[in-house]
Amino acid sequence: MDELTPLPSAPATAGLTTDSFDEQRQAELRAAAEALRAQVEIYSSGMNVALNRFPKLRTVEVPVGVPEVPLVKWRPTWPRVKTVTLTFPAGFDFLPPPPPPKKEESGAAAELIPVKPPAAPAPVDGTAPPKKATRIKPPADAISIEDRLFYLLQPPLESWLKGQELIMPFEPFPYQYEGIAWLFSQKAALLADEMGLGKTMQTITAIRLLLRAGQARRILLVCPKPLIPNWQREFKTWAEEIPVVTIEGDGARRQMLWTMPGVTVLLANYELLVRDMEAFGEQAPQFDLAILDEAQRIKNRDSRTASTARAIPRKRTWALTGTPIENRPEELASLYEFMEVIPPHASPDVRQLSQLAKTFILRRTKDLVMKDMPPRLDRDEFLDLSPAQRLAYDAAEKEGVVQLNELGESISIQHVFELVLRLKQIANFDPLTGESSKLERVEADMEEIAECGGKAILFSQWTGTIDWLQEKLARFSPLVYHGKIPTPKREPILKKFKEDPKASLLMMSYATGAVGLNLQFAGYVFLYDRWWNPAIEDQAINRAHRIGQKSKVIVTKFISKDTIEEKINRVLDEKRRLFAAVLGEGEETNVSLSMNASEIFGLFDLKARNGKGTKSIKPQAPAA
Amino acid sequence: MTANVKQEPLRLGFLTAIEIPEKGFVGGLLVTNHNGRPLEFQCTVPIKPNPTQEILYGPTLSPFILGELIGTTLVERAGVKPQLILTDQAQILELRNHIDRPVALVEAGAQENASSTPGARKAIRLGRQVIQFHPAHDTDSATVTRDSQQVPVDADLQEPFERVREALQETMKSGALR
Repeated sequence: MDELTPLPSAPATAGLTTDSFDEQRQAELRAAAEALRAQVEIYSSGMNVALNRFPKLRTVEVPVGVPEVPLVKWRPTWPRVKTVTLTFPAGFDFLPPPPPPKKEESGAAAELIPVKPPAAPAPVDGTAPPKKATRIKPPADAISIEDRLFYLLQPPLESWLKGQELIMPFEPFPYQYEGIAWLFSQKAALLADEMGLGKTMQTITAIRLLLRAGQARRILLVCPKPLIPNWQREFKTWAEEIPVVTIEGDGARRQMLWTMPGVTVLLANYELLVRDMEAFGEQAPQFDLAILDEAQRIKNRDSRTASTARAIPRKRTWALTGTPIENRPEELASLYEFMEVIPPHASPDVRQLSQLAKTFILRRTKDLVMKDMPPRLDRDEFLDLSPAQRLAYDAAEKEGVVQLNELGESISIQHVFELVLRLKQIANFDPLTGESSKLERVEADMEEIAECGGKAILFSQWTGTIDWLQEKLARFSPLVYHGKIPTPKREPILKKFKEDPKASLLMMSYATGAVGLNLQFAGYVFLYDRWWNPAIEDQAINRAHRIGQKSKVIVTKFISKDTIEEKINRVLDEKRRLFAAVLGEGEETNVSLSMNASEIFGLFDLKARNGKGTKSIKPQAPAA
Repeated sequence: MTANVKQEPLRLGFLTAIEIPEKGFVGGLLVTNHNGRPLEFQCTVPIKPNPTQEILYGPTLSPFILGELIGTTLVERAGVKPQLILTDQAQILELRNHIDRPVALVEAGAQENASSTPGARKAIRLGRQVIQFHPAHDTDSATVTRDSQQVPVDADLQEPFERVREALQETMKSGALR
């Protein structure tokens, strides 16, 4: 039997020495080997010897076959992020901001509230009251996402206009911010704010923003000739950095001005627009924006002025008027056609006109937006004619009516109209004796107004009446402003009225003085005689009752008792009510604001022979 | 006589993101001049992590998507590069670790501080707000302070984020980001 190989010694354990441990293990192994011996008998063949040999043990390697573990690999890869980019156009490079205007040079707008200097940093703990922000909204007709984002991403007007790029000389009112934002975003717009709410300033500021935002580089502004100095002054006040060129001079010079490169704003009057555009023919200069001020000038869509205005090559179109409807709602169609929101020659009905107005017209009234504006107090002064006036009036009326009746079927509105004018003139003053109850009342009022340093504006339909009054009221040093005054002399007259404390009365014709002038330092308005259209009367009154007016405006309308004036007054009151209905929430559909033929015939209880039309009674174009 | 060195006009980048239900995160970067007038706008298509990404990224998912994925993409692709990127979401500060220009958080109620407490965000006043910088980039505040005088003191730096959010909503509504 083979000797068993001693096993490696085990570590010592407590209580046993290494030698005794080995002996014990050896004994155990021997005992185990004995147990493995095969118990066999010895056979006679002697073949059993091999059975006593110790068995040979061999080891064979057998692969176990471990299954493969599935491995999931994940790497944090993300798809390439797609982006959409909108780059804003480069803006107009303005000149460095001009120094703030001096008080004595700031013009009529000096009465406005000056912008405060930048405020100290507001507390960051959220206690500062949130300031209202006027955001520019994308116009309804902006379809592409680029167009919509362009407007959405513009800063609020308040911060834009108070930034270092666009300094505002005076803080606009909240409704003006809204108007500016609206104009800025509109490709076609009719700003129809009531007179005196600052259409001029809103327009100029919106122009500034368009230039700054790179949306316009060449702008045409058309206005009535008497308003050219007004626009020039307002541009100087509100946007001195914008170069303004006025179209004037002979044909060659005008041609040069129309096409001169680098001009930002071109200022033209309607007459020159028509004349020069016709001369240009197909080669008319292009504009990014064309603006018509007093846009009611194109209310007749078939007129040369209207068709010329429509032919101006332009990308944007704005129209400004305080009286979008002078006579009939349909006049809006002509303005819409100019604005290219209806097809040529389209005749939208009142419902369609109203629907378009929601998108393309912005109109606010003083009642709505200027709650803190000093009130306008109207007083109708019913005066008895003086004895001489009464005599002359009754005689003229009697004779006139007899003559009208004698005309029979051949009577025309012109005949009636002539009699109305004759009677109105007698109600103003008796041409024979010079007696006038209205004059007496004006003198009395003017004594008081001049005494306390006030200023008054007097309106009349006739330049003859104004000239007559100038003589009678000489002690008040009245200034005269009407169509017969040459244009270069008009601006100095307004300046003198504003600045000379002795000039307490300015007398104007409705035709020349009713639109566009800022006379908010006058607290009194006399309507010496009445105009035929309440909208024109309101325009006249609003020369004084407008932004910047600090005191109440007292409007005195003279009406001679028992005369044609009383009847006209009743008609005008009714017209005024209807005017409010059309432009407000009312549903009047066919309102004529001027007196029509039937109404004029009705003044003498005569029936109109052809009373369907509207007699066009409007301020005559002022003399050049 | 020393010549006046003309300071380069400061361009600010207003970076924010919104989450559109079912669609994921959309990021927008509005680059303006120092007065807030827009110069360029960029936005991403919606990015929606899948469930695996949500599980494996865990709490780092938002900083990754907003800061690294959206922020880096928008800044790198901007044609008009802003010198300072402002955000109103703290997760986007992560962007600073992936770009070479300062990123700051405009946060209502944050206080100006000059302390250098480790781990604290350094904060300075800019316009009407206090802006905070990534704690790992200490020098950013000094860099920004140098140019910050161009920003009007009454500039509201929270307001442009409203514009970006509105633009993102408008863009999603239009379907331009499908």
